[in-house]
Amino acid sequence: MDELELLKKDWNKENGGFTKKTTAELYAMLHKKSSSIVKTLFYISVAELLFWIVINSIPYMTSEEYQKKLNTIYDNEFLFTGLTVLSYGIILLFIYLLFTSYRSISVTDSAKKLMESILKTRKIIKYYVLYNLIMAGFSLIIGFYFAFKHNPAVSGKFSHLGNMELIVTTIVIIVFITVFILVIWFFYRIIYGLLLKRLNRNYNELKKLEF
Amino acid sequence: MNKEQEHNFIALLEKHQNIVHKVCRLYTNNQDAHNDLFQEITIQLWKAFPKFRGDAKFSTWMYRVSLNTAITLYRKSKRTISTQDFNGVAFKIKTEQYDDTEEQQLKTLYKAIHQLNDIEKALVFLYLEDKDYREISETLGISEVNARVKMNRIKTKLKTILNP
Repeated sequence: MDELELLKKDWNKENGGFTKKTTAELYAMLHKKSSSIVKTLFYISVAELLFWIVINSIPYMTSEEYQKKLNTIYDNEFLFTGLTVLSYGIILLFIYLLFTSYRSISVTDSAKKLMESILKTRKIIKYYVLYNLIMAGFSLIIGFYFAFKHNPAVSGKFSHLGNMELIVTTIVIIVFITVFILVIWFFYRIIYGLLLKRLNRNYNELKKLEF
Repeated sequence: MNKEQEHNFIALLEKHQNIVHKVCRLYTNNQDAHNDLFQEITIQLWKAFPKFRGDAKFSTWMYRVSLNTAITLYRKSKRTISTQDFNGVAFKIKTEQYDDTEEQQLKTLYKAIHQLNDIEKALVFLYLEDKDYREISETLGISEVNARVKMNRIKTKLKTILNP
């Protein structure tokens, strides 16, 4: 195509009309901070890890009285310890997966491979958040159940309700918890959606070329 | 990284800085954004420099890192232009007076290419840099046949825009 050949000639002109960066300017640039999406993704994932670790640790940081109550709720100590070990094990597993995933992101890979590594990392964070939300949902439902069953203050308040009213109350609580979790999930989708919009678009464009 | 490595890197970057400038010219639309992207590419090049092995040409290695930064890693600031649909561009160009002088033709060409999507820009960039289809396919991670097919489609699109 003649036009592109014309452009090629202009494109490969010696200086290209650019203002050359001086050695001093280039040195200064090396020590500035990157604002790449990988870095942003990294900060978000660290924040999420910490957030959920703190949330999971709240029961241990509360008063002794509350801990005693917790022990009566989970009267089976083996089950309680087992669940704690499992939840921290899962957090450690996610930290390991995230770490190896970040290490596999290399700017010297092909464009497609680089995008895939970033999307894989994002997927790990997504599963981590999903796991925590599901656990939070279950914990809330189980918490309500035990409060009804074992806490006289709570069960007293609902004792005057008939069967039908009790069912309606239960449904309302479950719907409330589900909506609460969905809102948080939706919020996450928006954050990642905005951050990775361009990456997703370009990745889809590259994938389209393979058909 | 030690001082000597830093010195070597700067010397190489200074020599080949036109590659980075050209990528910035394609992916940004004003000087501030150009400088922003230049900065980010420099950081990414520097971070990846320890992995650079002398067996590849520095310039070839730069193409990959620079394009990857522009297409994938760089978070566009509000100052940079957003990628538009090609059809929208065609309309805009058609309505402008088309002067056949070389300068005007170049201007129109740059304008058209500037508004291709990110991947199409990368293909055009490597094509203008005289890279063969093997290198283009390896840089983007697509097959050689697909790189060729896509490049031909871009050429046809450009032809249609320039000669409506």
